[in-house]
Amino acid sequence: MRYVILGASAAGVNCAKTIRELDKDANITMVSKDKYIYSRCMLHHIIADKKNIEELNFVDKRFSENYKINWIKNTKVERLDINKKKVILDNGEGLEYDKLLIATGSSSFMPPVKNLREGKGIYGLRNIEDAIKIKEEAKNAKNVLVLGAGLVGIDTVVGLLEQNINITLVEMAKKILPMQLDERASLRYEKLFEANGVKIKKGVRAEEVLLDENSRVKGVKLNTGEVIDCEMIVVATGVRPNIDFIEESIIKINKGIVINNRCETNVEDIYAAGDVCGTGSIWPLAVKQGIVAGYNMAGIDRELEDYFGFRNSMNFLGLQTVSLGLIEAPDESYNVDIEEYRDAYKKIIHKDGIIYGAIIQGDISYCGVFTYLIKNKVKISHINKNIFEINYSDFFYINENGEYRYIV
Amino acid sequence: MLKRIKVDRDLCMACLNCVLACMDEHNKKGKSVYDLDLEDVSNGSRNHIELDKNKCPTPIICRHCEEPECVYTCMSGAMTKDKKSGLVLYDEEKCSSCFMCIMACPYGVLKADEVEKRVVLKCDMCGDREIPRCVESCTTGCLSIEEDE
Repeated sequence: MRYVILGASAAGVNCAKTIRELDKDANITMVSKDKYIYSRCMLHHIIADKKNIEELNFVDKRFSENYKINWIKNTKVERLDINKKKVILDNGEGLEYDKLLIATGSSSFMPPVKNLREGKGIYGLRNIEDAIKIKEEAKNAKNVLVLGAGLVGIDTVVGLLEQNINITLVEMAKKILPMQLDERASLRYEKLFEANGVKIKKGVRAEEVLLDENSRVKGVKLNTGEVIDCEMIVVATGVRPNIDFIEESIIKINKGIVINNRCETNVEDIYAAGDVCGTGSIWPLAVKQGIVAGYNMAGIDRELEDYFGFRNSMNFLGLQTVSLGLIEAPDESYNVDIEEYRDAYKKIIHKDGIIYGAIIQGDISYCGVFTYLIKNKVKISHINKNIFEINYSDFFYINENGEYRYIV
Repeated sequence: MLKRIKVDRDLCMACLNCVLACMDEHNKKGKSVYDLDLEDVSNGSRNHIELDKNKCPTPIICRHCEEPECVYTCMSGAMTKDKKSGLVLYDEEKCSSCFMCIMACPYGVLKADEVEKRVVLKCDMCGDREIPRCVESCTTGCLSIEEDE
């Protein structure tokens, strides 16, 4: 069986591994524009000069040898010929497949701000090349503006803090990390970043990038009229799936490639996983989709059981936070419980015995139980104790095969 | 051969011997109980005991899951499933301290170290030790070793 996997990150790599484990004789080819396998969640360590490319590798150094994968790197896909079941590469070569996985990820989205797409000194943070350029550029620049205070924007700021550079963070929402945190949890990070010299502008939009005669960035004009001087901009305003080699009339697209719970697209023998599906995929979901796709491609039926994407952990400037599900109660029918001690702030949003969201800051020990309870909408009304003290002993059960399980 | 720690929760009496044993075994100052300094917060236990709604204790111990959420969620490659031993291994040098694993473990086994908050306290089945120290120290029979061929 000939398997072709497009992409060499979380989804692609885990799919390749899975297929190899299931089919010793499989002919597996992995194609990637990436020259290295590396974790995109760790690019800020490159900017900070704390890790190198090898240290960002999330698999064994000899991954492709060990798993007997024919890895064609530094190569893009030009187009698909689904009638001939063939992938055409940008070097003109054609690759025939029996089963194909599309896991080509996503790219930084550049919002339609005047001159943002034209100016020099403007970067996204998605690929290792971006991180290296930002690191190098930061050495020559005095001021940098980071556009967007989501996880990628904040990661960028954390990386840049290690460089001797003035940082201004611009966010459209009224708080930083607006998708993950409530006002209070967000404010604690804001204070930490400000104490480290970061200027934060909230509730404002970038209206125009100001360029010099060589088209280099010299500043950003905000919607308030204020001009912020900067020689570099890092844009962290979301991503778009890498699907330019796909004809939309053939493979169904809706924000990204549409897949079913077996990671199949609408075209037979073509699967997709990870960011390219455009569902706001996070690392663990990309991994799981890659594994599920791998099983089904190898002919073993397997369904995706995890769709819970609203979870994130963060660890910035020594303060840890986990954000799960809802961050605010949608209306008064929900209960909101808050607990505080020492450095900790915890909030749980629940209704009729089901937890819908939690923010756990300062002390995240053992909090995975809440991830499970929220993800699976586990009833907790029969557990007569302080909600913050609920733990796995309230659900403890061991299966016959020895694995743990929840019993309600 | 796969080796696992088996928990018979009804036998737990929260004596904390398993917790102290884990701290002993992973104490950088020495493995003897005489080296153990309970005021040294840098030496944390990789297991702990929780009370349920009826105040009954249960030791919370890593099961080295067949489908480990901590491994699926690890974006640095620090947390891996070893196919041979079946163990979930943690490489603190590779760890990026993102703590997605703490968030992901459905059984609430994981936490960060207390002092630096840099590494995760993760059961290693006491490495080459034939019987993990927690099991050896359990006086009630609550913890035992089970082996699968």
